[in-house]
Amino acid sequence: MNHVRLQVERLTKNYRTSPDSADILSNLDLSVPEGEFLCILGPSGCGKTTLVRCIAGLEDYEGTIRVDGNTVTGPGPDRMMVFQDYNQLFPWKTVLKNVQYPMKVNGIRDKQELRSRAEEKLKMVNLQEYADYYPHQLSGGMKQRVAIARGLVMNPGILLMDEPFAALDAMTRNKLQAELRRIKEEENLTVIFITHNIQESIVLGDRIIMMDKGGRIKLDERNTIPKPVSPDSEGYGAMWRLFEDALGDTGAEG
Amino acid sequence: MIERQTLKNLRAQLIFLIIVIIGWQVMSNSGMVNQLTFPSVTSIGHALVRGFTQENMAEYVLYSLSLLIRGLVIGILLAFVFSSFCMISRTVYSIYNMVTSICDLIPGVALIPIAMGWFGIGESVIIFIVVHGVIWPMSRSILGGFSGINRMYVEEGKIFGLKGARLITGVYLPATLGTLISGIRMGWARAWRGLIAIEMIFGTTGSGAGIGWYIFMKRTNLNYAGMFAALIVIILIGIIVEYLVFQVIERKTVVKWGMV
Ligand SMILES: Nc1ncnc2c1ncn2[C@@H]1O[C@H](COP(=O)(O)OP(=O)(O)OP(=O)(O)O)[C@@H](O)[C@H]1O
Ligand SMILES: [Mg+2]
Repeated sequence: MNHVRLQVERLTKNYRTSPDSADILSNLDLSVPEGEFLCILGPSGCGKTTLVRCIAGLEDYEGTIRVDGNTVTGPGPDRMMVFQDYNQLFPWKTVLKNVQYPMKVNGIRDKQELRSRAEEKLKMVNLQEYADYYPHQLSGGMKQRVAIARGLVMNPGILLMDEPFAALDAMTRNKLQAELRRIKEEENLTVIFITHNIQESIVLGDRIIMMDKGGRIKLDERNTIPKPVSPDSEGYGAMWRLFEDALGDTGAEG
Repeated sequence: MIERQTLKNLRAQLIFLIIVIIGWQVMSNSGMVNQLTFPSVTSIGHALVRGFTQENMAEYVLYSLSLLIRGLVIGILLAFVFSSFCMISRTVYSIYNMVTSICDLIPGVALIPIAMGWFGIGESVIIFIVVHGVIWPMSRSILGGFSGINRMYVEEGKIFGLKGARLITGVYLPATLGTLISGIRMGWARAWRGLIAIEMIFGTTGSGAGIGWYIFMKRTNLNYAGMFAALIVIILIGIIVEYLVFQVIERKTVVKWGMV
């Protein structure tokens, strides 16, 4: 058994917007080993974003969340986050400066190191030629790739991704999925990836979880279909059906 | 990359200005108006040249500007410091918000007698009034910018490891720069107008005299051409600051970053 990277125990989250507000997550347990690509599916509003925000340290919570044994008490560069929003890059910095910024914040001053590490990650997402562009000069897909490069530059224990490709067109999305999967293999990343898209979860995930409306884990499956996954892969249809049916039972509309 | 319409507008504006100037000159020379209070364009031009060559008008202007810049810098810095403290807690925020609203209601000129009691008769009174003119509107725009900031930027900054003052300089300031520049623009315009008024009331400070005082002296001598010349200088300074300072800063920052 691999080293446990993330350990979530009896996680309960209530935003307490009113005295009788319901728990979004209640007593959720989840364990993610190092090097696992975990996809989380679930109907809208079931608490997927809430869960990754708790792991990121952006929300307070009850229960325990431990990363490499350390209790999460706040945000930090060991848990980088890639958001769905294209505008997540700092518009006042060039692509290169955006990728370098987390390193600068964390005390890396050596110009040579800053440059080489940032360029390595930009190369990984095939954007080395765009280092001096400003974010507003890039397409949505390019911005998301820069965000991934920036998310990787500190070699985080976990990369948290909240529907990062949801707003992209199908072709760009497929391309970025393949790129992300390749990078995952190269770097042995531990990823928690939220998506609405069953196909996406099968293409990317080593393991797929489905949450239901009450913020509970309804399905937790290993995805053993060999990568790269295509709709023709053996077992794809069965896997897809399993989650499609489960999604129908979660209380999701439509 | 000036658009055709802009070019057309520019030409129309220029033609209008020329017509006004010619009309002014004709009126002034026609004998229908008092040439003393309605001096001809040429005599205003002469007054302008004389002002700079014989009356050290540049010194008056520079003195006013030096007071203004000192007041602006102090006012802006204080506004930043106080507004940053407001990020610490909602309570500090609400208190400072109240202070800002109250103080913003006091016209600077009304503070002169009190300021003279506190600081004597010197530059510090004028600088105090300038600071007062700048700090409240500036605080408003900083607080407005900070509370309207895209939360995602702040969260990213925290994930990267930024806290406290570094979060403010690393994320809050650049992310709200557009609003801050508008705030400084407003503060400068207010301070500049206020400064000239105060100079007329307050007179010289012992260490110098400004453009407001220059106008006031021209009035005592009933030199209307000189007064108009000073007005032209004030307008020119406004134009220079807008086009050579604010627009250049905007072009090099928010425009370049696609944030407008
Ligand atoms: N800041 C907040 N304050 C109060 N309630 C919140 C807050 N954020 C989320 N919620 C509530 O928590 C529930 C779960 O929201 P969350 O964003 O985690 O869902 P999600 O699974 O990510 O949905 P989607 O798939 O639409 O992104 C929703 O009912 C939402 O209204
Ligand atoms: Mg969500």
